[in-house]
Amino acid sequence: MTKFRTEITKGDEIRYVSHLDYASLMERAIRRAKLPVVYSEGFNPHMKISFASALAVGVTSAAEYMDIELKEPVTEAVFCDRLRQALPNGVKLLRAKMFEGKQKAMMAIVDLAEYNVQIPLTGDQAAICEVVQTYNLAQAVTYTRRTPKSCKEVEIKQYMQEEIQVAFANEIIIFTMKTKITPAGSVKPGEILQVFKTQFSMPIMEDEALIHRTGLYAGGQTPIDLV
Amino acid sequence: MVKLEPAMIHAVNKPARYTGNEFNAIQKDHARVDCTFALALPDVYEVGMSNLGLKILYEILNKRKDTAAERVYTPWIDMEAKMRENKIPLYSLETFTPLSQFDFVGFSLQYEMIYTNILNMLDLANIPVFTVERNDTDPFIVGGGPCVYNTEPIAEFFDFFIVGEGEEIIVEVVECFIQWSKNGRAQGRQGLLKRLAILDGIYVPSFYAVQYNDANLIESVLPIYPEARPLVQKRVVKNMDEVTFVENPVVPYIDIVHDRIMLELFRGCTRGCRFCQAGISYRPVRERTPEQLRALAKQLVASTGYDEMALTSLSSADYSCLGEFVADIMEDFKNEKLALSLPSLRIDSFSIELAHKLQQVRKSGLTFAPEAGTQRLRDVINKGVTEENLEQAVRSAFENGWNTVKLYFMMGLPTETDEDIIGIARLAQKVVDLYRQVTGKRGARVTVSVAYFVPKPYTPFQWFPQNTQEEFARKQKLLKEHLKDRSIQFNYHDAHVSYLEGAITRGDRRLSKVIYEAFKQGAKFDGWSELFRYDIWMKAFETCGIDPAFYNQRERSKNELLPWDHVTPGVNKEFLLREYHHALKEELTEDCRRGKCSACGVCPNLNVKVVDWGNRHD
Repeated sequence: MTKFRTEITKGDEIRYVSHLDYASLMERAIRRAKLPVVYSEGFNPHMKISFASALAVGVTSAAEYMDIELKEPVTEAVFCDRLRQALPNGVKLLRAKMFEGKQKAMMAIVDLAEYNVQIPLTGDQAAICEVVQTYNLAQAVTYTRRTPKSCKEVEIKQYMQEEIQVAFANEIIIFTMKTKITPAGSVKPGEILQVFKTQFSMPIMEDEALIHRTGLYAGGQTPIDLV
Repeated sequence: MVKLEPAMIHAVNKPARYTGNEFNAIQKDHARVDCTFALALPDVYEVGMSNLGLKILYEILNKRKDTAAERVYTPWIDMEAKMRENKIPLYSLETFTPLSQFDFVGFSLQYEMIYTNILNMLDLANIPVFTVERNDTDPFIVGGGPCVYNTEPIAEFFDFFIVGEGEEIIVEVVECFIQWSKNGRAQGRQGLLKRLAILDGIYVPSFYAVQYNDANLIESVLPIYPEARPLVQKRVVKNMDEVTFVENPVVPYIDIVHDRIMLELFRGCTRGCRFCQAGISYRPVRERTPEQLRALAKQLVASTGYDEMALTSLSSADYSCLGEFVADIMEDFKNEKLALSLPSLRIDSFSIELAHKLQQVRKSGLTFAPEAGTQRLRDVINKGVTEENLEQAVRSAFENGWNTVKLYFMMGLPTETDEDIIGIARLAQKVVDLYRQVTGKRGARVTVSVAYFVPKPYTPFQWFPQNTQEEFARKQKLLKEHLKDRSIQFNYHDAHVSYLEGAITRGDRRLSKVIYEAFKQGAKFDGWSELFRYDIWMKAFETCGIDPAFYNQRERSKNELLPWDHVTPGVNKEFLLREYHHALKEELTEDCRRGKCSACGVCPNLNVKVVDWGNRHD
């Protein structure tokens, strides 16, 4: 059994595709590429592919990782050529690496995500910097996570890897956020922005944010460098 | 080019409906083509993207270097509100071009309950809703699809209609347009419409004058230009193997209604069910060869990456080479985990065996359509199905491991009595009992789904009055009382919708103002129960001084000039009348595909023949 670990992107063209739909667009691309992929046994066979971490609707990424199991070996060159030709606009295959043997599921080992968040500058720069500083210094910040079925209080500071950085360029606010991914949970950049706005009165239009994942790591390395 | 702000798109449900960029979508530079054609379906993305006709036209038009075809669907109400708030005009999904900048906007007319969406889309695109208000910079608004056999209620909104199958005529329309453009657009809009009107299958409603008599009936429908034909006949493809089929369909990112490959085995159905408009309007049966279908299937799997393929047609199980073809296809794709499905099952054990073979893993429910509860009424509608057929089919389904069966019926058919209604309950109970007989246990799940019958133009029942809403309510109650078993679930529709559909489907030009008024008052997505506003519609009829009952509940005299008589699928009125009388006498008519010709007139009128490959080896 041959496996490939791939580093792929989710571009602006498919920003609004959900994680589930992203997985199925990759499945279709793999079928178009005619790669000898392995299917699960049973009544409802599904393709053996797995992802490192789900991405929210509206978020783009330069660092998505997907494992594929193949029935027979294919060279890296052939693998990349075939898959690239079959990918839709918005997905780029950056790297692919063949590996053998058992590896822990990426989902279980990634522990850090890095984001670049851009929002048009509408308020006062100093006020924005001040909120970021207050947030960075706070011991604990509670965010109320609402889903259609539940409403839960989450302490989100525990999921911050580093202090949030803020910069300004061409009337745009740029935040750099590094968040921990833990078995107990994590925090999304969109949630941090909501906290900025609602709890700290930051003058931003958080709806206008363009969130981009720039890195995903496990123990300091990208998943593809682990194999 | 339209630009969507993140804040706006973040705020709507299923934003990927509006952002395009799907695999196989074709973006062309409009400056480098001679004709731009927006293909619209006036319903949400998931419905619109599932339409096979538009996929075919998209492929045909985009194969031409000189033409760009792009898609557009109705934004859901949340997106519409955002677009209006932000002054964003309706745009195409390929290049985000405002609809008003296209040369043509073609609407696929799938059902009457989306007519207000058409007006809303034109309005959202800043295109005048009425034909007479459009000027030289506006696109030509064209309609086509199943509703084209009575377009009178929407005549005032459309520049022209394409009647019948679009594969060949759409190309002629584009070529005609390019020629007219290169000739300096002689005579303006009228100039192109006159050129188009002489083509077979083109109907330009503004080229006809309709006169009414004192009884409010149509006195005459007469062409007012020499280019307009007194009778417009549909276009029909003679050889299905020779026209372009979809080879590279756009693959959506989100789940759509029919999220799979659609392989069209054949066109037409001649079983001759008397309530069915499609059974008349798609005549005659023309099959694709199994060889071509196998090649298409391979191409479609390669170009889409789908793992599911539906073998579509009006009655797929009637494909003459089906058994052999299915075996071949399964062999071709045995390594690719391709699931095959047959969307329309015939009520016989052959169909069940086949369905069993196809869905080896997934045992989803089976759907049968006996349509009526008694043999007498099934004979009236020429549904050539006996209780024995149903019994065999259901028995075979239960033996093959199914336990869920859906049964489709209609209520309000001509000559229907209470006995026929009770017959529906009896039949459903019989299916439940059969399950116990076959499997020795309880646990069958039977769904009885009943639609209110809407008489349609160009069917033998086109003269027949629709039941009143009170009558529908009474019959529904009666049926409910007789459905006693707890394993039977009863589904029914909204009688208000069927009432309105009944008025519009057999309406005339005077209904344009009612539809416009309803749209003005906010009617949209009338086919969506959560948005349907019966009150708005009834108010609109009242405001316009028109009684819907004149259209849906009036028995028409056999010599009345009908609003749709001048645009025809090629069938002779004498045939429809003959069928009406056979119906009243409970007499069956054979399927002309293999049995006797029933002289409907379509083949000689349109110079076309039945193509059935089942007899090829004889």
